[in-house]
Amino acid sequence: MKSLLLAWRLARRELRSGLAGFRIFFASLVLGVAAIAAVGSLADALLTGLADNGRVLLGGDVAIVSVNQPLTAAERGFAESYGKISQTISMRAMAYALASSDTPRPCLSWPANAGHPGRFGTEPEKKVKFPRPSPEPSRCHLGGPHSLAMTSDFQKSVTERTLVELKAVDANYPLYGSMGLAPRRNFSASLACGGGDICGAVAEQTLLDRLHLAPGGLLRIGAQTFRVSAVLTDEPDRLSGGFSLGPHVIVSTAALRRTGLVTLGSLIEYKTRVRLPANASIAAFKRAAKARFPGAGLQIRDRDHAAPGIDRFIKQISVFLTLVGLTALAIGGVGAGQAVHAFLDRKREEIATLKALGADGMLVFLTFFLQVMSIAALASAAGTTAGAALPFAVERLYGAEIPVPANFGLFAPPLLLAFVFGMLSAAAFAIPPLARAREIAPASLFRDLVAPTRTRGRFPYLAAAGCAGLLIVALALAVSPSFSFSLWFLACAGGGLIALSLAAAGFRWVIRRLPPASRPAPRLALANLTRPGSATTAVITALGLGLSLLATVTILDRTISAQVNGSLPGTAPSFYFIDIQPAEAAAFDRTIARFASGRDYRRTPMIRGRIVALAGIPASRAKVARDARWALAGDRGITYAAVEPKDTVLTAGRWWPTTYRGQTRISLDSDLAHGMGLRIGDTMTLNVLGRDIEGRIANLRDVDFSTGRQNFVVILSPGIIDKAPHSFLATVRVPPRDEEPMYRAVTNRFPSVSVVRVKDVIAELDQLLQKLAFGVRAASLVAILAGLLVLAGAIAAGLRARLYDSTIMKVIGATRLQIALVYALEYILLGALTGALALGAGTAAASLVAHRVFEISPVLDWGALILTVAGGATLTLAFGLAITWGALATRPAQQLRNL
Amino acid sequence: MQAAPAIVLDNVHLNLSSSAGPVNVLRGVSLSIGAGESVALLGPSGSGKSSLLMIAAGLEKPTSGKASLAGSDITNLGEDALARLRRETVGIVFQSFHLIATMTALENVALPLEFARADHAFERAREELARVGLSARAHHYPGQLSGGEQQRVALARAMVARPRVLFADEPTGNLDTETGSEVAELLFALPARANTTLFLVTHEVTLARRCARILRLKDGAILSDTRADAA
Repeated sequence: MKSLLLAWRLARRELRSGLAGFRIFFASLVLGVAAIAAVGSLADALLTGLADNGRVLLGGDVAIVSVNQPLTAAERGFAESYGKISQTISMRAMAYALASSDTPRPCLSWPANAGHPGRFGTEPEKKVKFPRPSPEPSRCHLGGPHSLAMTSDFQKSVTERTLVELKAVDANYPLYGSMGLAPRRNFSASLACGGGDICGAVAEQTLLDRLHLAPGGLLRIGAQTFRVSAVLTDEPDRLSGGFSLGPHVIVSTAALRRTGLVTLGSLIEYKTRVRLPANASIAAFKRAAKARFPGAGLQIRDRDHAAPGIDRFIKQISVFLTLVGLTALAIGGVGAGQAVHAFLDRKREEIATLKALGADGMLVFLTFFLQVMSIAALASAAGTTAGAALPFAVERLYGAEIPVPANFGLFAPPLLLAFVFGMLSAAAFAIPPLARAREIAPASLFRDLVAPTRTRGRFPYLAAAGCAGLLIVALALAVSPSFSFSLWFLACAGGGLIALSLAAAGFRWVIRRLPPASRPAPRLALANLTRPGSATTAVITALGLGLSLLATVTILDRTISAQVNGSLPGTAPSFYFIDIQPAEAAAFDRTIARFASGRDYRRTPMIRGRIVALAGIPASRAKVARDARWALAGDRGITYAAVEPKDTVLTAGRWWPTTYRGQTRISLDSDLAHGMGLRIGDTMTLNVLGRDIEGRIANLRDVDFSTGRQNFVVILSPGIIDKAPHSFLATVRVPPRDEEPMYRAVTNRFPSVSVVRVKDVIAELDQLLQKLAFGVRAASLVAILAGLLVLAGAIAAGLRARLYDSTIMKVIGATRLQIALVYALEYILLGALTGALALGAGTAAASLVAHRVFEISPVLDWGALILTVAGGATLTLAFGLAITWGALATRPAQQLRNL
Repeated sequence: MQAAPAIVLDNVHLNLSSSAGPVNVLRGVSLSIGAGESVALLGPSGSGKSSLLMIAAGLEKPTSGKASLAGSDITNLGEDALARLRRETVGIVFQSFHLIATMTALENVALPLEFARADHAFERAREELARVGLSARAHHYPGQLSGGEQQRVALARAMVARPRVLFADEPTGNLDTETGSEVAELLFALPARANTTLFLVTHEVTLARRCARILRLKDGAILSDTRADAA
């Protein structure tokens, strides 16, 4: 204790010199800690924002979601018994812009039940027969006087068309939050149909831009004409809606029925939101719903998980960014360790004097350890403060563009965590040089510059440094919601750091053994790279790790982008046509057949169904592997086929005979069967439109989603399922020149068919990926910035030696250009080598991720090559010359006086 | 026809700024040193000896006055032009040797020739090292050489390009007596053999007396200019 107090007294005296010699140490820690604190604070701001606004995002306290069928009267009554409800219907549809002078009349012979097909309100819950379609099609006849199909006059009045996300809402919508409309006006009034044929609609600006419409303009969806009464600027529950294929349009439920698009078999999502009383329990509601409707398979979401996808995304991205921050801290740690080493080098005489005067090794260690950790505490506090402030700056600068409600504030846990990470990192990297100084005898301290001592310090000290490192890893894993990802990331970063250190040592070893270059500039440059105290190791490890991260991200971005843009379109269809009604099917086939260039045309029955039991065990209780659980979450698209579809690869069992009409047989994705523990002969039960169908697995297939073609994990034999009301899904591939004519031909003739242009989806997806990749690349710049700090520190540490060299070289006749050439060669060589090593490490890491996570081959990219190798060389050259410029500019006489 | 003087200083002043205010280091120094002459500059510490050497060698610009080296007016030459002139005409030996730590003895010696893009730089460097008796240490680094050896390498480096003038600033100041006298022998022998002017800054009278001419400097001004035998 006495020696601790004495050490503290000595350390305080040392601290009088302030941050002298610790600027890079300080900056490295501030940067890493600030990054971690900022990411943590921002994530907490977003997550608490999501949690606090859960009921607004969900549109209620709970939401009951059903696909293809609305709630039964009993289910609706149950929901209403808990509080006020609001029902919405969402689907994809085509919107057509109309010239304002043409106001085509909508379909007039609307069947009475057309808007209430199937279970919509009247069908008893337990009825096992499929709801029968009306003998009259539930939508207008093609080509009839009141058809949904366009007349030639109408075709002329249509200017543009596009796929939209259509949502119909009732009078109670929204239960929470408020609609944003421009110009501001009453929401219900904006959707009103009034007494005329035209109903009101609100739409996003994107739709108006695509259709070249202005507020007040007309558009047609299905059989109904709408006037865009306002621009939709804020839709409170949009975030809980998932991925959008087109701009959002909101109409009234009554108006949706007039479109004729709501039929059995259409891809429709019904949501019933409930506003619970203040004291009502969500858990109790869920329990009661399950007890009352055990077989209905109601999907109930609640305000605490309003946007689970976004919640998960924020958590995952914050894990990644925190790990990037930790990498920055590790890179900075290399610089911090170097700074401590350089500081102790300058303190040799002082340490020797202290030892000569009777200080023992422990006192020396404690004195400088306390000094270093005091500065680390100051730096960590500064980093924490900066990290806490950064989200507020983000709010001020980009608040309006953040798509998620955020509660900006001070969050203690991430700030405390960042501070602890900073202190542990400082300890891990500072202890080894401190332990080394503690071990060296005074005499050897004086001689160390000429013949560096190889003492590494005693084991307990090195073990303490190792423990600090392990604590960082343990803490990072403990707070991460994704243990395995974090473990892999940290293992890769740690492995990368070690591999780069070894590469640096190998490089120095090779350079020393090279025959001397014949010209002085390369000889001096190479000599500078291997001299004691050179920046080589620090730059290769620190900047190298930062560049490796950038290379990994760039290669992965390129790989995924190439997969999306390159390999998909070659095999993928040009169009997906959704919701083709049976009555339209033959005409639809003829329309497509008119295009001789069309390839791989497939029209397949499309039914939504839910897997409810596996081998007789209810799905909720079945043991299912993690990667197969997605198939049990909600409704899946299923189909039926008598004939084995083209390109099918059976892995087990046999396809049923073409004429087979007996008990339902199932063809199942082999991966899914494996994950669900199912084999040939096992049963699987599906719930289709309220009816359970039990089938026996006849065969297993390979399903390759990467082709982009129609892929159904479940295919049933015909006999029962084909009696269920359903629509068709069609795909076709045409050359780019025929895409627009086909799009026009289909949309002109079949306005109720939603057309998804694969090219547009890929472009949208690619844009999303690019944004994500940009964000991730920007984040990895933090690691590079840390690397540059280390580079700056390492070069600055050698500045004195460079001043000496350049002075002597000037004295014996070297011009500034000659000296600059030596430095430039040295930095370019070091930077390019660092970049090349980083490219190697980045490629290895990206290959690992591409093969193991995405199961694709990585695509090497010139961009990554240039970015890392040329970037590394340029950065090192720029920083090196900027820092050593003083050595070139100083007049020799000035230096000779000080030498 | 008489050869141009190796060094000419005409009313040279040098004022340096310091935290305590401006310091007049040299106050109107004028001198002329002929080719092949050996001149010692004697004076107490702080008298301006090293500053005078630096101006004469083109390492420092005078505040006023004119300086010429080997017939060239160096008063207004730029830094790079001075560097070129130095590598062609000047060799310098310092008290602290000032070798480049990352280069072997041979590489240190060859460096001025390489800067001057001279032919056979290493062969000539090897010969020069042999002249100072260090052939066996050619591939040793400065850190592996004794003080005397380092100074001999520095002397070889200074003489390898056959300079018109050799400047030596307290060349034996960091050496013991025996090593110092060995270095001194070489210091006088090598320039004499090459007809190189020797400009020696020292505070050792015995060493100065080995020069043909002795200049005494005090408070930045020449106090006396005498032949060695008359000193």
